[in-house]
Amino acid sequence: MSVTRTVDQEELDRLLQRVGDHDREAFAELYRRSSPRLYGVCLRMLTDPREAEEVLQEAYVSIWQRGATFEPGRAGAMTWMVSLVRNKAIDRLRQHANVQLDHDFAIDSIADDEPTPVATVESHQSYRRLEECLQELDVHQRRSIREAFFSGNTYHELAHRAQVPLGTMKSWIRRGLLQLRTCLET
Amino acid sequence: MNTHNDDDRNNLRYAEYVLGVLDADTRAAVAREVIENVEAATAVARWQRHLIPLTDTLPDAAPPAHVWSRITQSLKWSEARQPAPRRSLLESLRLWRWIGVGASVLAAACVVVLIRTMAVPTPQIVANTVMVSSIRQTNGVVGWTATMDLSRKEMIVVAASPTAYTKDRSTQLWLIPHGGKPISVGVFKPNDTNVMSLSPSLLSQLGPTAILAVSLEPPGGSPTGQPTGPVVAQGQIGAAPDV
Repeated sequence: MSVTRTVDQEELDRLLQRVGDHDREAFAELYRRSSPRLYGVCLRMLTDPREAEEVLQEAYVSIWQRGATFEPGRAGAMTWMVSLVRNKAIDRLRQHANVQLDHDFAIDSIADDEPTPVATVESHQSYRRLEECLQELDVHQRRSIREAFFSGNTYHELAHRAQVPLGTMKSWIRRGLLQLRTCLET
Repeated sequence: MNTHNDDDRNNLRYAEYVLGVLDADTRAAVAREVIENVEAATAVARWQRHLIPLTDTLPDAAPPAHVWSRITQSLKWSEARQPAPRRSLLESLRLWRWIGVGASVLAAACVVVLIRTMAVPTPQIVANTVMVSSIRQTNGVVGWTATMDLSRKEMIVVAASPTAYTKDRSTQLWLIPHGGKPISVGVFKPNDTNVMSLSPSLLSQLGPTAILAVSLEPPGGSPTGQPTGPVVAQGQIGAAPDV
């Protein structure tokens, strides 16, 4: 499994580098291979399919325009592209910042955040490592970090939704991040 | 709050940026830093490597087909190169055998098919509106085959055995209606597979009484809108069998 993932990743790196040279066929191939993943991210963060489509479209236009800035030594192509699409999604969320904060995420009553079965079976090395490190965190830290990552919410919004003071939310996330870094980089 | 040293504080900003918890202004500030400062870019990339694997747990979702065409529209790609789907036509072995092109041409065309069909895999119903032409060079050898799809308003020009032309000349394809003036279809790559769009004026003239012709022109094509160089190949247009 991890071997094929690696081959796929290298292939994606090469495709994205060709996109950097404005190779249209490589771009079409890259789109074919990566758009289901990126659209999944858009849908998770934006919920509204129409908005998710718009963000996906903007993201691929940027991938085409900024492909030349991709440095494979820094991060893999998929990481680069998912980061780009998440940035677009977060920017979009900030544009309508005073949206309804209607769904609280009730930090204490949330169902336990075990990885989904798909992830357990299919995910590769880096995800497993991250998951192990997340499991070492305090439950509030872990849940807040996950919720922050997938919602794209600000500290303020997260605190509001979890009905905890802003300082508490910041503290959970910051301590959690520092601990994660220690775990991941050692 | 805990006390962090400066290094942690700085590093946290990048982590918070990647996580997505910063407000719009702070995000914009970090984004600028990433562009201007290599260390910031490296720190952000490190946090991306750490956190982005979380998206591995999300289900994939195939985007609707129109997203791809909107992307190519935003990029203002010329229509001739848009990977619009044409599965049935190019994949039809029967058509290619009928045209009589060699295996290597077929292989090249299949590559194009793969590239052109993957983004929007919905098969199209093929109306019987396909015409073909074998464009024969002055030496008697077929240089290219052209397949015209009236319903999709496009022509696919595939290299068969083209003569080698000097690099400082462009090959330009013309449609010449019976008794009429040549109409440019466009400049094409002589050794490649080309997908060219057909304008309404071209479509209205396509038919068995018209011919296709290739002339050698200055780089980029004829400056006058009419052939200026020698005509090196031409071919009759005929209907294709049902594909």
